Amino acid sequence: MNHHRAGRLLSAYMDAELPAKEAREVQEHLLDCEACREAHDRLRATRDLLAGLPPAEPPAELWAAIRQPVLRGRLAAAVPDVRPQGLVERLRAASWSLGRERWFPVRRPGWVFAAVVVVLALAALPLVKGTVDRLHASEIGVDLYVHDHAVQMGAAPLVDRAYLGLVAGDAELVMAGENPRAAGGRTR
Amino acid sequence: MSEAAATMAIMAPPEAVQAPSYTAEELARYDGIVQRYTRHVYNIAYRMTGNEADARDLSQEAFLRVYRALRRVQPGAPLESWLYRIVSNLYIDLLRRRPRVRVESLDAPIDTPRGEMVREFPDAAANPEAVFEREHIDGAIQEALGTLSAELRMVVILSDIEGFAYEEIAAMLRVPLGTVKSRLHRARQVLQQRLRPYVDARRRGWQA
Repeated sequence: MNHHRAGRLLSAYMDAELPAKEAREVQEHLLDCEACREAHDRLRATRDLLAGLPPAEPPAELWAAIRQPVLRGRLAAAVPDVRPQGLVERLRAASWSLGRERWFPVRRPGWVFAAVVVVLALAALPLVKGTVDRLHASEIGVDLYVHDHAVQMGAAPLVDRAYLGLVAGDAELVMAGENPRAAGGRTR
Repeated sequence: MSEAAATMAIMAPPEAVQAPSYTAEELARYDGIVQRYTRHVYNIAYRMTGNEADARDLSQEAFLRVYRALRRVQPGAPLESWLYRIVSNLYIDLLRRRPRVRVESLDAPIDTPRGEMVREFPDAAANPEAVFEREHIDGAIQEALGTLSAELRMVVILSDIEGFAYEEIAAMLRVPLGTVKSRLHRARQVLQQRLRPYVDARRRGWQA
């Protein structure tokens, strides 16, 4: 066995973790090689230093924390119960814990839940209705726009951009629903 | 239940693990595990982290996982393997959460044109007499351990401080046997250099 290879096997040799054949080869090399003998001794001394370390003693707080459930004799103290539950059970559990603190004592979480649903529905109603109206408006959108535009133009012609364009003479007005090409032909 | 399944259960995120109410008998079983393994778990955690606060947090978290998975743990089964794997994984998580504590690994060989070289370090103990003081030795060893990469440190702690065989360590860390062998050898080489005064003192002690 060459010097380099023996050097890499010294740790395993010293721990008796080598197959018999390899161990014998390392042993033979050690008899011939002063440098490897010294390296071996140093590794052994290092291992013994580590082995001689006194074990670190766990602090009392750690014992207390780890043994907490045992000392209390129940699990809930150390680990919150995270089983998936129905909404009603969860609400009930929540209202109980709140009730214990006398902050919001609710006996019937089901009613609370129903009330919340009604309030949310009332709040949502205008939103939904507004959206429906807007959808309707979009169906007749162009006409509605032209109508509003005409009314505004009549009231205040000088702030109306389309009117001003007409005055400047380069606007090609297209009536809603009219074929653009036909309209263009007409203005010429 | 297989060991792998037990480990899976224990490594699962806490939210996914049910924590049913335990019977007195089950609590007694948990207490038995605590009594048997706390010292080892804490010792490994302490030598890995090098400080009491982190070691305490790590140990506590490890036992919390044992506690949550208690029903999936076969009574009387040897727990070392996966319990120490938990500690190892928790430590790696700790490093990930705190990347700033990561320093360049001093045990990494340096590439040179003539091949790899291992760094050499100045004497850790300037005072020759301090070499024989127990407390001083502990501090120096802990400091030297801290210079190892987490991988090398874990292997050398499990082998030389906790006294496990290579095969057991390979199973705990889920690495090949050859990896354990080479990591341990590298770790000892670095430690041997860092602790040279203590190593020499010890060798003189043999010769005397």
